[in-house]
Amino acid sequence: MSISQVPAANGRRRSALWGGRAQEITMLLPALALIAIFLLLPFLSSFRIALTNERLIPRPVPPRFVGLGNFQQILTDHDFWRALWNVVRFTLMVLPVQCGFALAIALLLNQKLPFRNFFRGLFFLPAITSMVVVCVIWATLFQYPTGPFNQIVGFLSFGLVQPIDWLGDPSWSMPAIVLLSAWQAYGFQMIVYLAGLQGISESLYEAAELDGANRWQRFWHVTMPSLRQTHIFVLIITTIQAFKLFTQVNILTQGGPRGTTDTLVHYMFTAGFVDQRLGLASAVAILLFFIVLIVSLVQRFVVRDRQ
Amino acid sequence: MKMQLGNRLLTVLRATTILGVGLAGLSAAEAASLKLMFQGDPYEVKIITETAKKFEVANPGTTVELINTPHDAYNEKVGAAVSAGALPDIMELDAPFLANYVWSGFLQPIAPYIDKALLDDMTASNISQGTYPVDKQLYATALVDSTVALYGSRKQLTELGIRIPTSVDDAWTKEEFLGALDKLAAAGVKWPIDLFRAYGTKTEWITYAYEPILVSMGCDVIDRTSWKATGTLDGATCVEAAKLLQGLVQKGWVVPQSAGGNQFYAEGRPAGLAWGGHWFYAEAKAQMGDDVVVMPLPKFGEKSASPNGTWIYAITKTASDPALAGKFLSFMLQDPEYRAAYAEHAGFPGIKSFAAASPLYAPGGAMAVAFEQASKSAVPRPPHPAYPTITLAFQQAMNNIFDGADAQEELSKAAKKIDADIEDNEGYAPFGQAN
Repeated sequence: MSISQVPAANGRRRSALWGGRAQEITMLLPALALIAIFLLLPFLSSFRIALTNERLIPRPVPPRFVGLGNFQQILTDHDFWRALWNVVRFTLMVLPVQCGFALAIALLLNQKLPFRNFFRGLFFLPAITSMVVVCVIWATLFQYPTGPFNQIVGFLSFGLVQPIDWLGDPSWSMPAIVLLSAWQAYGFQMIVYLAGLQGISESLYEAAELDGANRWQRFWHVTMPSLRQTHIFVLIITTIQAFKLFTQVNILTQGGPRGTTDTLVHYMFTAGFVDQRLGLASAVAILLFFIVLIVSLVQRFVVRDRQ
Repeated sequence: MKMQLGNRLLTVLRATTILGVGLAGLSAAEAASLKLMFQGDPYEVKIITETAKKFEVANPGTTVELINTPHDAYNEKVGAAVSAGALPDIMELDAPFLANYVWSGFLQPIAPYIDKALLDDMTASNISQGTYPVDKQLYATALVDSTVALYGSRKQLTELGIRIPTSVDDAWTKEEFLGALDKLAAAGVKWPIDLFRAYGTKTEWITYAYEPILVSMGCDVIDRTSWKATGTLDGATCVEAAKLLQGLVQKGWVVPQSAGGNQFYAEGRPAGLAWGGHWFYAEAKAQMGDDVVVMPLPKFGEKSASPNGTWIYAITKTASDPALAGKFLSFMLQDPEYRAAYAEHAGFPGIKSFAAASPLYAPGGAMAVAFEQASKSAVPRPPHPAYPTITLAFQQAMNNIFDGADAQEELSKAAKKIDADIEDNEGYAPFGQAN
C-alpha cells in the first residue's frame, strides 16, 4: 500500500465502516426484536400489572388500580419474609455443598484416569435428568420410616438413631432439599470447574514441584488462585439459581412442613396460579428481581479484582 | 425488481386468501365439531376416547376433539384458555369450582340440552354439586359422585371388641371414634389412623375430607349465608375441631405425610383405620380381600356430615352448538360401556340407575354405607365464587396445624385471607346479599 492511496482508502474505509455498522445493526434486529417481545415487554407489563388487583382469569369485576397496595401487602406478610429467609438459608447451605462437591469431582475427573470420558459423562448424568424425575426418586429414598436413607442411618448407628422423617420434620426438611438439589445440579458447576482446571498451565505445577511443594500446597497455591475467575462465575450463577428454588419444593413438600421450605418463587407461584392473584404475583416477581440483582451486585463488589 | 417482487407477493397473498376462504367455507358446511376438555385416570381417558368415537359414528359429520389436561394443572389451563378466548364447548371441572366458573360467566345452564330421563335419574347429591346457588339452575352433570368412608379390618376390630357400625344412623360418636383409636394404639398398632396426609396440599383432599368434621361439630370454613369466614372459621368450634385433629397427630397416631398412602394394607398393616375416598376401597380390597370393612364417617357433634363432589361436565357459554354438546353428554352418560368402565373401578354412583346396577353400592353391598352417606349426610363444599381462595387458605392452615402450628392463629389468618379476597372482588355480587 503506497502513501498516495491513503486518503481515498480512508474515504472508502469510512463508508465501508458505516456500511458494516448498518449491517451489524440489521443483523442484530431479529434477536433484539425477540428479546424485546419476549423479555422486555413482559417485564414492563408485569410492572403495570403489579399496580392493579388483576386476576389470572378475567372476571366480571374489572381490575382496579391499587397503587403500591400489593407491595405493602407482601412486605407486611410474615410468610413472605419467611420465604425470603428460607431462600437465604437454602443458598447458604447449598453453595458450599454443591460447589465443593462439583470441585472435588472435577479434580478427580481431571486426573489421567482410564475411561476418563466415560466417567465425565456418568457424573454429568444427574444434571441432564429432569428435576421432576429426580424428585420422585428421592421421595422414595427419603421415605419415612422404611426408606433407604433411614435404613442406612439405622444400620450405621446399629439401630440407635430413630428413623428421620426427612421431609416431614421442620428441622430436616430444608437440609433434605439441599442434599437433593446439590446432587441434581452439581454437574453444571463440575463442567465449569473442569474447563477452568484445563486452563491452568502445566508449567505452573512443574515449577511448584521443583520448589518442593507437596500435593496439598500445589492445590492451595496453584489450583485455587488460578481458578479465581471460575469461582466467581460459579458463585454468582449458583446463587442466582438457588434464589429461584421452586421445582423440588413444589413436588416434595409444597412449602411445608410449617412453611420451612416455602421459597420466594413458590410463594409467587401460589399467589399467581393457585390464588389467581396476578397483580400480587407480579409484585412478588418484581421484588424477586431486585433481590437477586442486589445480591449479585454485592457479590460482584465483594469478589471484584483489586488489581 | 422491487415492483416485481411486490407484485409477486401480492399474487401469492391473493391466492392463499382465496384458498383459505374456500377451505373455511368447506369445513363449515361439512362438519360440526365439539371440543371437550377433561382430565382423568388412564381408564377414564380410554373410555372417553372410545365413547367419542362411537358418537362420531352415530352422528356422521360430527367430530369430537378431546383435550386431555393434567389434573394438577387443570385450573391454570382453564385460566389460560379463558385468557386466549379458547374455551372448549364442553369442559370438565371439579365441582366446588362451579360457582367460580359460573359467576365468571364461563358456563351456561345445561338442563335444556340434556335428556330429561337422565336429569330425573341424577341423585340428590349429584344435583347439588352441579347447581349454582344464585339462580338454582343446573350447570353440570356427571355419572359419578364421591364420598369418604372409614375403613377398618373386620378381624382386628372384632378382636379388640370395637363396635362396627352398619349405617349412617349408628355411626360412631366422637368419643367412640377416639376410644377406638385408643384401643388400637394400646394394642400396639403403629398408626391407629391414616388420614391420607400423603395427598399433600396440591389436591383438594384437605378441604374435601376434613371440612365435614367441622360441619359435623357445628361450624364451617365460611358462613354460608353471610359469606364471611371471620367469626366462623376462626370461632371456638372450628378451633376445637382443628385441635382435635392436631392432637391425633401429636400423639403419633396419624400416618405422616411422607409415609405414603398404602399403610392401611401394607405388610404388617401399620395403620389401623383409614379415612379414605371411595376409590380407596378397590385398592384395599385387592390386598386384604373380605377383611376390609367400610364404616360411615363418625358423628362428631349433633349431625353427621360427609363430603361429596367430583369432576363434572359443563357446557361453556361460548359453545358453538350447545344442543350438540348436550346430545354428546346425554349419549356418553347413558352409554353402557362407559358405565361398565366406571363400575369396574368402583365409581361412586351419581345416577340412580347406575347405582341400581352397581352391586358394590346396592343394599347389602360392601360400600352400601358409603352410598347411604350421599343421601343422608353429604355436604357440598361452599358453593361460592371465592372457593379457590377458600380452599387454598384452609388447606394451608390445616396443614400447618397438623405440623404443630397454633390452631387459633392459623385459622384466624385463613379467615382473614378469605374475607380479604371477597372484599377485593366487591363481595362477588350477587353473593352475600340477602338472598
